[in-house]
Amino acid sequence: MSERTALRPPGRRRPALHWPSIRGRALADAGSLLMAAAVVAVVTLLAGAVPPLLRATADDAVQDAVRRAGDDADIAVHARWERDDGPNGGRVRAPRLAEDVDDFRNRATDALGPSLRPALHPPVATVTSDTLKITDGSVLRTFQLTYLANDHGAGPRVTWIAGGPPRPAVPAADSHVEVPYEAAPWPVQVGLSEADADALKLRPGARIPLKDDQNRVKHVQVSGIFRATDSADPAWRLAPWLLHPVSGADGVGATRLAGLLSPDSLPDARLAFNQDQLQRTVWFTPDPGVLTWDSAQAITTTVVALKATSGSSSVLDSSLKWETQLDTVLRDVRTQVSAASAQASVLLTGVLAAAVLVLLLAADLLVRRRTPALAAARQRGAALPDLGAELLLESAGVALSAGAAGLALARVVAPGASWGWVVPVVLAAAAAGPAFGTLAAARATRDRRAPANRTARRSVRRTRQLRRATLEAAVLIAAVAAFAALHQRGILPAAPSGDAAGPGSGPDGGAALPASAPTLGVLAGTLVLLRLLPAGTRLALKQALRSRRPLAVFGTARAAATSARVLPLLVLVTSAALASFALTLDATARQGLADGAWRTVGADARLDVAPAAATSTPALARRIAAAPGVRQAVAAQVTDRAGVVADSLIVAPRLVIVDAPAFQRLLASTPLPDAPALTRLTATGHGDVPALVRSSDGSLRPGMRLELLRDGAPNIRLTAVGTAPAVGDAGDVVLVDASTVAAAGMPAVPNTVWVTGPGAARAVAASAVAADTVLRADVLSARRAAPLTSGLLRLAWVSAAALLALGLLGLALGAAASAPGRWQTLTRLRTLGLRPRDARWVAAGELLPPVVVAAVGGPLLGVLLARLTLGSLGLRLLTGQPADPALVLPWWQLGLVTVALLAAVAVVVPIESALRRRRRLSEVLRAGEG
Amino acid sequence: MSAGPTVRPLLTVRGVHRRFGTGPTAVQALRDVSFDVAAGTMVALVGRSGSGKTTLLNIIGGLDRPDAGTVLVDGTDVTALDEDGLSRLRREKVAYVFQTFGLIPVLSAAENVGAPLRLARTPPEERERRVELLLELVGLADHAQQRPGELSGGQQQRVAIARALAASPRLLIADEPTGQLDAETGLSVMALLRGVVESEGVTVLVSTHDPVMIALADRAIRIVDGQVDGRFEGQVDGQVDGRATS
Repeated sequence: MSERTALRPPGRRRPALHWPSIRGRALADAGSLLMAAAVVAVVTLLAGAVPPLLRATADDAVQDAVRRAGDDADIAVHARWERDDGPNGGRVRAPRLAEDVDDFRNRATDALGPSLRPALHPPVATVTSDTLKITDGSVLRTFQLTYLANDHGAGPRVTWIAGGPPRPAVPAADSHVEVPYEAAPWPVQVGLSEADADALKLRPGARIPLKDDQNRVKHVQVSGIFRATDSADPAWRLAPWLLHPVSGADGVGATRLAGLLSPDSLPDARLAFNQDQLQRTVWFTPDPGVLTWDSAQAITTTVVALKATSGSSSVLDSSLKWETQLDTVLRDVRTQVSAASAQASVLLTGVLAAAVLVLLLAADLLVRRRTPALAAARQRGAALPDLGAELLLESAGVALSAGAAGLALARVVAPGASWGWVVPVVLAAAAAGPAFGTLAAARATRDRRAPANRTARRSVRRTRQLRRATLEAAVLIAAVAAFAALHQRGILPAAPSGDAAGPGSGPDGGAALPASAPTLGVLAGTLVLLRLLPAGTRLALKQALRSRRPLAVFGTARAAATSARVLPLLVLVTSAALASFALTLDATARQGLADGAWRTVGADARLDVAPAAATSTPALARRIAAAPGVRQAVAAQVTDRAGVVADSLIVAPRLVIVDAPAFQRLLASTPLPDAPALTRLTATGHGDVPALVRSSDGSLRPGMRLELLRDGAPNIRLTAVGTAPAVGDAGDVVLVDASTVAAAGMPAVPNTVWVTGPGAARAVAASAVAADTVLRADVLSARRAAPLTSGLLRLAWVSAAALLALGLLGLALGAAASAPGRWQTLTRLRTLGLRPRDARWVAAGELLPPVVVAAVGGPLLGVLLARLTLGSLGLRLLTGQPADPALVLPWWQLGLVTVALLAAVAVVVPIESALRRRRRLSEVLRAGEG
Repeated sequence: MSAGPTVRPLLTVRGVHRRFGTGPTAVQALRDVSFDVAAGTMVALVGRSGSGKTTLLNIIGGLDRPDAGTVLVDGTDVTALDEDGLSRLRREKVAYVFQTFGLIPVLSAAENVGAPLRLARTPPEERERRVELLLELVGLADHAQQRPGELSGGQQQRVAIARALAASPRLLIADEPTGQLDAETGLSVMALLRGVVESEGVTVLVSTHDPVMIALADRAIRIVDGQVDGRFEGQVDGQVDGRATS
């Protein structure tokens, strides 16, 4: 009686663990267990680290988006003034108006609520007048009276270098004076910065010549000239014209200056303007550094609620009116993060699936090695639950400790590592070995032989086939459902307002199905290949038998004998296909970024010329065209929000007036799509000016008759003769030929120069004109470096590398699992006279068919799935393109996957041969007899 | 025990030693084993499990190497051959029949029998003719296209014997060829081997511990603890009708 049976008490009991067996098995198979532990640890590291990294990336993306939004993300709170009507039909001076502004600021701050307030910098209150015209006869200049008050109630600190701060217009005794409505302009004092004073050539005491838009004179006197103590004080950002003249703030060609009001002169400014000509505003600027993905949602909700509570602008009360684009900015970035999150889920799902399959394969190998020992233990009386419990104890120990090690490493790499994605891997590692082992032990000892009668054998075979068909149908149905879900609703979660599940929160129920579409597709495709491989190897064997090459016969015979093994091929094809998918996603996204940069800039470099220098733009373009390394330099007039009447509606497209043939040559020198319709622009005889149109919403269509609106000049009639090429990121474009439109009475004033060629950047840098330079390379590198984009591209590469590594590991495991059978056959063939060096070819002949199927079929399957799914993954949200990028196949990388798998066979076979050589033929034959 | 002066033995084993392992756990599998086997005879190696029969057969067939001693098969010193030489020996002079048959499952009986001929690059027509002949010899002409899995154990062993004879070897080594067969089938297989010796002139060295099988041999050599037991050999010689060479 064995120790096990002797110790077994009668009746129901807990499993009795035989510790020497557990220890002995673990020591005997330490290598395999360590390998399984390594797989669990590495995959756990990846699966555990990615979610927090994604979360951190999402935080970075939120901060980056708010930084990029700049002023658009500011929250502005307006409130009308209470009327200052006096009892005698005039306006009463309010000497404590500055305190009123402070109260207004505090009221707005209180309304922010606890979720929004911590995310904002301290507020700055401003009081600004309508802009006035400076009537000194020079170029168009405007002036604004501005009062600034930060959260301490005082404005930014200044040093008075001449004169002093603005003083009240009346002595303190008359501070509540009532002024008739029709009185002379009320005097008000302002301070000027040194730069503004220099520009106006005024000294303290001087009066600034100002009129409002109704030509009413304003009495504004310079009290002093100041210098900002800290010009970087955030308050100055709200009114930079206080520090120096700013061109363009009031339209093309206009320069704005401003005078600083003090708490003393603010009441006078109120009287100097009409009731509604002085606006008070509290500005809150977001602090990007404290924004996170999690806080963004609460902030968005609060901002939307505040905007919703804003009263109508026509309501004459002093309620708070909130204006900001912060909610839109945050919503957009949340959509991008959700998309990136879902795209990452697609990649992670693939890695996890491959990892689980590799772990199953490893468990299968382990159980194959242990089957004799398990069968012996069973024959000695070990109960199946006991064996299962022993195996579970071992595998759970390995899986949990390796998982814990992987998670610990993940926490080092990315604090806050998540275990949600790790569960399937640890479960597979813990459960596969015991399940396979218990089954193997049960099979080894059950008294069930193959039925003697043919009908019964056929029935058994059919039952087995039916089971397999059911499993395959289940995978196929799941794949179809996942594809349907992906195509119907896309990869983004269906939550309203883009409020998707957060990054790193693991696959939520709704998004899990579409995110697993590529993986399920690969599994379904692999099942088809699994059906084809045995038929293929049988066919190859038939061919080989007709040949005179004995090695081919024996190699294909072994291949045919092992071709029905499911797990090795499943691992190989799945890994190769998903690695190819990840590489294709990476290549497509990278090309999309490059195409997006081309589209945004329109050339290698673009000069946006300042209006003052616009007249010299054609000459500038000619000069740049002559520079070395420049292929094309084309000048154009680009006007955003031009007024165009189409179908009785006014639309505001981007108007491009350009020399059409030159523009066509420019396009030909870029990867941007050609626009053959440009040739129609120079055709005459229509009466109308021919134009090309492009519209994002169909409001502009070829064949339409349009009317270009002009201030102070007759409108120009246009006929849309074709589709315009994309010009920048504008959705609506109207493009006309410069000479044709000039003939119609509208000469172009070019303000844009597109430059292509390797010397474009150098040429525009040397142009030395007042212009903004936009380089395609800069735009591209900025987009590539954006947190979400760079994160996803990195993940795609890491996933591809991990999948390839898992595939190679699977190949090694598969080879190890089939090695005993192969060694037996080769040894028998050696007894028939097969030479040792020929044995390698036979081994390669056996291993190659599934590897060739995976090396060729895997990448093709990956590419096919990429073609079927990339359109629904929302890559445009990362590439900055208006439409999803076109599929790009990274042929050399896919070739690398193929070569790596084939090369692995070339490595595995000699290694296996070397291991085999250590054992005598007699040993192998003797072992096989067991 | 030694061959007669006028007959050159096909197999000569001299002073063969084989030890497995090192140190105190080492096992001396064969000690100074020497004997000759005349051509065209069937010799039974007899002994208990673990006595060294299989080790001796492996050394004779070049599947293992002795620590000392020489083995001459048809004048070729097996112990001096390199891997290629051993492959050639196995292709041309020595064939094996194993207890577990050793057939290739996905190949038919005919293709299994033809395997050594493929390795020897025998022309297809000649190969097919020889396969047909051998399958007829072992009584399986009607089962040529069946795979091993579709044959009984005895039929599989017959296919294995046909395969062993395919390349016309001088020496056929059979290690417990009836070990996985019932008594009746085992006897028929041994009878087949006996017939092969008669009809093909092949020398057969077979290990067994079944007295019925031993009775079919021309001579029996008993191995006890890795050594040839001369007493037993003398007895059997007398029993087998003087066909033994000694």
